[in-house]
Amino acid sequence: MKLLLDSSSSLLFSLLLAQLPVFTSGSPVPQRRTTEMDKLSNQTKNLLKLTQELLKDHAFEADVEPHRFRSLPEMSNRSANDLNNLELKPTLSQLHSDLKLYEHHFEWLNRVSKKHHHPAVPKLVEMIREIKSLISLLHRQMKFVKVETPRLTPVAPSLPPHLPYHFDVLQSSHELLQHFKLFCDWAYRAFISLKPKVTATAVQ
Amino acid sequence: MPGLLSSPVCLTVVWFLSWSLRPSCAQIWTNEVSDVQFGRLGSNVTLTCGKSNIRTPAVWHLNRSSALPWHKVRSDGALVLLQVNHSAQGNYSCSDSQGLLLHSINLRLGHPPGLLSISCQVPNHAHVRCSWVEPVKTFLPAKYNASFRGTGQEWTPCVVNVARKHCDVDHPAFWSSMHTLRITETNGLGSETTFIQFQLHKLLKPDPPQSVSVMGIEGYPMRLNVSWDYPSSWPRLPAFPLIFQIRYQPLGSAYWSEINSEGTTVIICDALAGHLHQVQVRARDEVNPETQWSEWSPVLPVWPWSVSTTPDPEEEDFFPFSTKPETSTAESHNVVPEDGGNLGLVILLVLFSVVILTTVFSFIFAVWVRQKRRNHVTKQELTSMVKMKSMPI
Repeated sequence: MKLLLDSSSSLLFSLLLAQLPVFTSGSPVPQRRTTEMDKLSNQTKNLLKLTQELLKDHAFEADVEPHRFRSLPEMSNRSANDLNNLELKPTLSQLHSDLKLYEHHFEWLNRVSKKHHHPAVPKLVEMIREIKSLISLLHRQMKFVKVETPRLTPVAPSLPPHLPYHFDVLQSSHELLQHFKLFCDWAYRAFISLKPKVTATAVQ
Repeated sequence: MPGLLSSPVCLTVVWFLSWSLRPSCAQIWTNEVSDVQFGRLGSNVTLTCGKSNIRTPAVWHLNRSSALPWHKVRSDGALVLLQVNHSAQGNYSCSDSQGLLLHSINLRLGHPPGLLSISCQVPNHAHVRCSWVEPVKTFLPAKYNASFRGTGQEWTPCVVNVARKHCDVDHPAFWSSMHTLRITETNGLGSETTFIQFQLHKLLKPDPPQSVSVMGIEGYPMRLNVSWDYPSSWPRLPAFPLIFQIRYQPLGSAYWSEINSEGTTVIICDALAGHLHQVQVRARDEVNPETQWSEWSPVLPVWPWSVSTTPDPEEEDFFPFSTKPETSTAESHNVVPEDGGNLGLVILLVLFSVVILTTVFSFIFAVWVRQKRRNHVTKQELTSMVKMKSMPI
């Protein structure tokens, strides 16, 4: 009887072992190795999607001419041509400081929205978390390609500690999200353009 | 005398005289025909008989005819045309009572410019073309001046094609939050400036995919191979990926099936065997879903592969079913026909099922054996306990 028990246990074990390759090779699509640059572009696309969702929740019918934030990264001087000639290190560095600026603005927006009990607060918290995650990914990538992270962070622009009216919160939120949406669109394209350059740097 | 005439000095004098007289003749000619005056349709138009203060009554002609539209002649010789319409347009001349031409005017009638109706096309991130139409026809030649700018940017020229009424901007600041186009139309009766504001990314609409081709796959009566190219106006660069949508239906069906793809080829696997299909492809910027889909490429008819290679023309007429086919929106990345792979997968699945079943049965068997053994042990213990109890102390 003991012999039977031992043999059944070993049979069970060997069967489980036999299944291991089946489980590992059972994926129908061959997995492509996700690079850090893929993670960066995917995370940027997530943020773009999140921004578009937040904008859909807004009550603004028309697109307003932006005027409130002068301290946001300059987007209006970027053309399609620039994307064809990006240099790896300065672009990563620029994107890093741009993201830090957006993080600062969204944290401010979150604070003033909380005071007005704005319903978008949970999504803003999520947005800030995702921005932080992107910054951290970018930081890692910058270390990988040996780009110095600026030790002295630029002086954060001063923003009003509170906004008097709920409408002001809405308008600021709309403007900031519109701006960030364009930034994400550009940043995503920048990351996918830079991907081959990172591979080349890694080979060197 | 001939020698005198042919002398260089004489020739120079003759040339100088002819040169100095030429412009004055042209001026007179110009005065006769090219003084253009613009008038507003439906209003009263006054034509003056030049600057001359004529004493005798002026005589007016229109296109050398004395028949004039509804008018009156003022005492100073000016002609006042009342509530003019198109028939009042033409060459007017005024002369004195002796028939000496005093002045001539070309009268052109129309309307001052109004606000333009402008629409812009953005076929890629590096080019904008804005076209316009006049909601009210002015009937007069016009000049256009167009400028374009992104938020906070300087105005840059939008290069105008007057004949086609459009203007082009190359390499605009695409990622600006708002863009403004300003077009000033000027004609003989005034000028008007029209402003239009828009967001370029919302107008981004690629041209339809090019070189679309569809064919059946030999040995596979339910498959179609569709391939296409990026539109030539779209840059083939990593920064600007496109997503494509392929739609297909058996001829006569009311419903389309759809597949999305990021590549430039796709295999349709659920074509209706033996039926003529129609296939179209369209494109959109892959990054920003707020942009627009291109127009569909022209309809391409295709027969799936069948054993008899020449399709029966009788079959071409109609799709015989009216049921809605299953719509597929699955992402597809360059699907490759792999029936061998499918067979392998089936075998693998069967083997896997056998292995799982064996495992389950083995496990059940092991548990059963263990339980039986435990029962046996318990029974033995009980027997020994009973035995011990029955033993005399």
